[in-house]
Amino acid sequence: MDVFITLTINGLATGLLLFMMACGLSIIFGLMGIMNFAHGSFFVIGAYTSTFTYALTGSFALAMIAGMAAGAAIGWFTELTIIRRVYSNHVGQILITLGAFIVLNEIVLIIWGPNVIPSPTPALLDGTVNILGATISIYRLFIIGFSLVVAVVVHFALAKTRLGTIVRAGVENAEMVNVLGVNVRRVFAFVFILGTALAALGGTMIGPTLGQIGTFLISQYLLLSFIVVVIGGMGSFIGSMVAGIIVGLANNYIIWFYPPAALPLNVILMSVILIIKPTGLLGMKEAA
Amino acid sequence: MLNNKNWLQLPSFWLILASIIILAIIPSFTSSRFILNMVATIAIAASFAISYNLLAGFTGVFSLGHAVFFGSSAYAVGIILSKFGSTPLYFAISVVVSIILAVILGLCVGYLALRLKAVYYAMITFAVAELFVITAEKWRDLTGGLDGLGFQLPEFLSGRYTGYYIAIVLFFLTVFFMYRLLNSPTGKILVAIRENEVRVSALGFNVFRYKLLSNVIAGILATLAGVAYAILNQFVVPSILGVTQTINALLMTIVGGMGTLAGPIIGAAVVILLGDWLANLAKIHPLFERWPIIFGLLYIMIILVMPGGIMSGYYRLKSKIFKSK
Repeated sequence: MDVFITLTINGLATGLLLFMMACGLSIIFGLMGIMNFAHGSFFVIGAYTSTFTYALTGSFALAMIAGMAAGAAIGWFTELTIIRRVYSNHVGQILITLGAFIVLNEIVLIIWGPNVIPSPTPALLDGTVNILGATISIYRLFIIGFSLVVAVVVHFALAKTRLGTIVRAGVENAEMVNVLGVNVRRVFAFVFILGTALAALGGTMIGPTLGQIGTFLISQYLLLSFIVVVIGGMGSFIGSMVAGIIVGLANNYIIWFYPPAALPLNVILMSVILIIKPTGLLGMKEAA
Repeated sequence: MLNNKNWLQLPSFWLILASIIILAIIPSFTSSRFILNMVATIAIAASFAISYNLLAGFTGVFSLGHAVFFGSSAYAVGIILSKFGSTPLYFAISVVVSIILAVILGLCVGYLALRLKAVYYAMITFAVAELFVITAEKWRDLTGGLDGLGFQLPEFLSGRYTGYYIAIVLFFLTVFFMYRLLNSPTGKILVAIRENEVRVSALGFNVFRYKLLSNVIAGILATLAGVAYAILNQFVVPSILGVTQTINALLMTIVGGMGTLAGPIIGAAVVILLGDWLANLAKIHPLFERWPIIFGLLYIMIILVMPGGIMSGYYRLKSKIFKSK
């Protein structure tokens, strides 16, 4: 029983981190039809920025803000310089985000070097609590709580504000929104920055759960968030959340029984869903 | 953009003959391991990039898992030779196994995923590539894990220049095969699919089947390049299966000119020679250790400014000169 509780809590924490990364990917794809292959780099930019900021200042809150700001700033620059130029060009979109993938990875390596670096748990959140006989690290509970708060805030921002309405309408039909007199380009830029900032914010929290960070996280988490996006459905915020939790939990349960099977099973699940129902569990449409 | 006649043509008969002769006699002028290895590496990278170009440049299918063909054949050669013994027979078996593996892989992944849209195909192939990399990293008994796998070649392959000549011969065979393929009716249909898929299928061609064919042929060509790589280096690491390896081929293709025959060759030469030069500059300033960023920026610039790469610049220049005459 206590093993089950530990696995569930850890799985929820992993799943919510995946959700933070995947929801940006999903909304960007739903709205603009761009699959951002460089999205994993933003996750890692957040991880490195926060780890170094934490080492420098000793404040984890500051580290998280710095990581998110770094992700948003680089996301803004990426949108401004390259993404904006390929909106109507499907092949160009794939090619250009792969180019961004090369460049951003090299930037990470230039700034922070190629070595895996340790990432300690913040002092305030260190330690464990006892829940029904299971020993749970406080830090995981913090991840779950914080991610849920972010999810609720973003969800209400999308559901209740005018901008959110425009974004949701844009996912349904960007052309129509444009015809109605909304500057869709500006909304695109906003969503791209939001997506990269959320990915970076997710990245700020990954370090202490693994104890170390490195560029190996880029493709690992990019793949996991592809799986989440596909399962949840392109463009669906709630779908990303549900799928993130499913993948996180499944990963942790399977790892307990037989570690090498975790990723293949997830990939197979993703392939099956893509082949029989490309709109995913909760996706509204198959984006162009 | 490009003159229809030009982009399928080989540069010229004399140019090819000259390059065959030059490449064939290089070893009699220099026995420098460095130069021979460099030329052979370019030849192998060019063969791999040509096979990628068949998919991406001519058929319009963007795979992120193309290096799986390349890497798994290099691994097949390495594993079979090191586990069973370095004899010509086992080498032949390993090549056959690699090709069978490529056909199976190309058919399976293609059959399941080629019906999907370009983005989804890229995502699935990305996932497959990651699975192969992780398998190679974790299955230590078989692959040597992250440390890589070194192996002995059978005697008939272990001559000083054998690896070099195999790479060069494979390169010319690949170029010749592509030239014949692209000028055949099948090649024309592949290009037509890239240009307008709906129209080709309206004309009664089975687009899916042609894409599958292109996938399998490109896979076999990449497999042969992988075998040459294994012979030249006698060492394989998991990263040659990965997405980065595929993106390298994409980079070479884009720099040289996507959808042209000469593009990937020029791209491979430029990227490897320039990369080596930049890597040497790391002695002057450590920042040059991260030279791939320069290629990343160049790649983005080319996509935004000159999508046809070096070759389109060449054709533009050529047509200007001929007009002025």
